[in-house]
Amino acid sequence: MAIALAPDSLTRTAAVEIRAVSKSFLVDGNAIHALQSVSLSVADGEFVSLVGPSGCGKSTLLRLLAGLDAPDSGHLIEHGQPIDKPSLARGIVFQDHRLLPWLTVEQNIMLSMKKQPLAIAQKAEITQELISLVGLDGFEKAHPHQLSGGMSQRAAIARGLAPNPRVLLLDEPFGALDSLTRSHLQTELLRIWEHERITMLMVTHDVEEAVYLSDRIVVMEPRPGRISRIVDVPLAKPRRRTDPAFVAIKDEILELLGVH
Amino acid sequence: MSASTSSHDGVWADRLRGGVIPLVLLLAWVFAAETGLGNPQIFIPPSAVVAAAIESIGNGGVTAAIVATILRALSGFALGALLGLLIGVPLGLSGVARNVLAPSLNAARQVALFAWIPLLSAWLGTGETMKIALIALGAFFPMLLNAEAGCRNVPVPFREVGRLAELNPSEQVRYIILPAAAPVIISGLEMSFATAWLGTIGAEYLIGTGYVNGAGDGLGVFLAASREYGRMDLVIVGIIALAITGLVLDRLIVGISKRLSSWQSH
Repeated sequence: MAIALAPDSLTRTAAVEIRAVSKSFLVDGNAIHALQSVSLSVADGEFVSLVGPSGCGKSTLLRLLAGLDAPDSGHLIEHGQPIDKPSLARGIVFQDHRLLPWLTVEQNIMLSMKKQPLAIAQKAEITQELISLVGLDGFEKAHPHQLSGGMSQRAAIARGLAPNPRVLLLDEPFGALDSLTRSHLQTELLRIWEHERITMLMVTHDVEEAVYLSDRIVVMEPRPGRISRIVDVPLAKPRRRTDPAFVAIKDEILELLGVH
Repeated sequence: MSASTSSHDGVWADRLRGGVIPLVLLLAWVFAAETGLGNPQIFIPPSAVVAAAIESIGNGGVTAAIVATILRALSGFALGALLGLLIGVPLGLSGVARNVLAPSLNAARQVALFAWIPLLSAWLGTGETMKIALIALGAFFPMLLNAEAGCRNVPVPFREVGRLAELNPSEQVRYIILPAAAPVIISGLEMSFATAWLGTIGAEYLIGTGYVNGAGDGLGVFLAASREYGRMDLVIVGIIALAITGLVLDRLIVGISKRLSSWQSH
């Protein structure tokens, strides 16, 4: 009886639990409510996208999940552990790749594994595997300034994956790229997600990207930042962007964002 | 081949243009001295300078002075720059350290380098310790300021990379802060050396015991002694030696800097 009463979310492990999280910033003495009482549960292995206009708090939410900032109130939990500081269990990829310019691609990836109790040889092996996974073979010794935007982002994804995180957070990872590179990397990311089976949370401005990759799409609204709708995307992956069902979901979300 | 040769020629043409003014001055000097236009006691002919240079190199006077000056400059520079780095880095990282130390250091920085001479000589005498202290003081402040600014201005995104990799504070300094601040710290090294060099010649010239033990005690003393003896030919030899030594050391420091900060030159 007790088991029957247990809600589904408790029987199945949630990778990420966000409970009534609020966060505001002071801008010129005025409080900006970046997030107001936001709750969301993400299942293990799920791909969830956050979309919404600027100021809806989606990037703030990602920073809180990374542990880079702390909420004013509410709780953030990852695989049962409260989030209070950055952890190698949660990787993050930013729009600006944030590769350290004085290190090579290889060294950038290795640095993210610094605190992992592995032998150097093992780390080197993982690094090589990841460089192949993101398609950067031959660029191990390249410095970030020698890479194109797309290649830098690939390297950043490899770095995010290196400590073998259980959750990968992506903050507009392809936002600064041209559309061709962007669709290439979306396909790559899908392949990586299927290969690694890690939970992914992505902030994006690109609705098509969200529909292409996500199991669920969280639509957010600004002032104060909150969730307005969660849209399921019950289509098999990989998806065709011209599929009528794909287009219908894309239209639905654009409608929610007030674009139509 | 022809393209690379012509661009090579271009570089040399630029260098030759830079040599025009020194050449004109040299010719004017030769002309004035040989025709007896100026007072030959003060306005000595280039041939006399060359003779004095040969004499001074022959008896080891100028070479010993050059060696003494280089050693003194580098010791004071190394000491001052190291202290500047050791104090500047924590200052750049900690707001508390900055609040406690910055006002005093800023006040001390306003004192012109040579204004420290009376105080330092009262404390340390007029020997080698005092000279090194003055040079180190000159090297200290540029390094301090650059190390502080370099560490304070490391972009937040880089710092966050360190936090996300779960690096502890000392690892963050070693792997993130210092490499990110390196270009600024290294340009501090160059400025630091420039002041140290100024301090070296000042210390030697102003504090040196002059003609008493002139030889072997640095170019500043060599200059002061030559001036005392009225040897204007040796004064000019000393100035030329000073210019060449300063230039070589400066090129050396800049060369090392360029190598160290190679990641930034891209």
